[in-house]
Amino acid sequence: MAGLLPSGTTAIPAEASKTAHTKAEEKTDYMNLPCPIPFEELQREALMSLKPETFEGLRFDFTKGLNQKFSLSHSVFMGPTEIPSQSAETIKIPTAHYEFGANFIDPNLMLIGRVLTDGRVNARVKWDLTDNLSVKANAQLTNEPHMSHGMVNFDYKGKDYRSQFQMGNGALFGASYIQSVTPHLSLAGEVFWAGQHRKSGLGYAARYETDKMVAAGQVASTGMLALSYVQKVSEKVSLASDFMYNYMTRDVTASVGYDYILRQCRLRGKIDSNGCTTAYLEERLNMGLNIILSAEIDHSKKDYKFGFGLTVG
Amino acid sequence: MAAQPRRGGISLPERSSAPKPHSNILARITSSPIVSRGKQAASDAAFVSKKLLRSTGKAAWIAGTTFLILFVPLIIEMDREQQFNELELQQASLLGAPPTAPARS
Repeated sequence: MAGLLPSGTTAIPAEASKTAHTKAEEKTDYMNLPCPIPFEELQREALMSLKPETFEGLRFDFTKGLNQKFSLSHSVFMGPTEIPSQSAETIKIPTAHYEFGANFIDPNLMLIGRVLTDGRVNARVKWDLTDNLSVKANAQLTNEPHMSHGMVNFDYKGKDYRSQFQMGNGALFGASYIQSVTPHLSLAGEVFWAGQHRKSGLGYAARYETDKMVAAGQVASTGMLALSYVQKVSEKVSLASDFMYNYMTRDVTASVGYDYILRQCRLRGKIDSNGCTTAYLEERLNMGLNIILSAEIDHSKKDYKFGFGLTVG
Repeated sequence: MAAQPRRGGISLPERSSAPKPHSNILARITSSPIVSRGKQAASDAAFVSKKLLRSTGKAAWIAGTTFLILFVPLIIEMDREQQFNELELQQASLLGAPPTAPARS
């Protein structure tokens, strides 16, 4: 009897200490915050859901892997492309081109090159020098004079921050920094200077992320304010909404969309405040064979674009 | 029928509000104020209803095409997913039964 009582009293403090221990784990450890996502991918969930690559015409992509790391790609596109015009009317010119590409993908090095029949050449390089430092470069050469451009980025990843420095042709310099402030919230800033146009700008961004939702906001001194919110309703469905405001030109756009990732297909739909609705469906017909349907209806401009494509490999 | 002397130019025919004496009953009815007001109301109603029909038609077109683009593929895909799930369930139940049956025999 006397032995029971002390054991009873020691059992309760043990339970109390266990709950106190879990409470300490739940209290955030500010020294061990997770590494934030890169600055250019801040609004990536909203972008992926709300801005699929809609196209007009026929698109055919064939990717053939020659090796574990090396693959070739052939791509055909036939359809009207829009020419930016000053008047309210959209001018479309039918174009067709064939694109040949080669990809080399290694854990540390990625090289991608593309050549098109209309004379353009694209190249992209991503090289992970060490665990923390990586270099990215991309370049595009065209037949038209003064339309070629290239850019180099140097990324450094720290324990709970990332910083990036970029240089482009035309004396374009930029730097960005993103830091995890709590396990869910990260804040970022960027600055850029364009020598050719004599413009410089400053921007701030914030991203709050939980298991179920992501909210991100971005402000820039070029006059752009962009807010986005993505809610993951279930593991197959997510809903996204986006708000963009340009306080120089007083342009406002809001859009709402859904993203359904089912087993055989991925369907993205969105409706805009400019009276534009788009839908993008990628369906897996067979192993390695995907069919793509894209639709974009602009009720205010009466511009209707429908596209159909096939992706093999 | 006797026209009043026209003063320099065209003038609108006079619309008398009071019924003219010595005219037949039909003329009196058709020129009464009730009938003229009724005619005005009918033409207004026709105008408004035409506008309403046109804007309803436009709204129905926009709603219909937007529904067709946004929701019809979704319904089709969700239906296919359900069919696929049912097929899998059926196959799982089919494959699940045989191992026990041979064990019994």
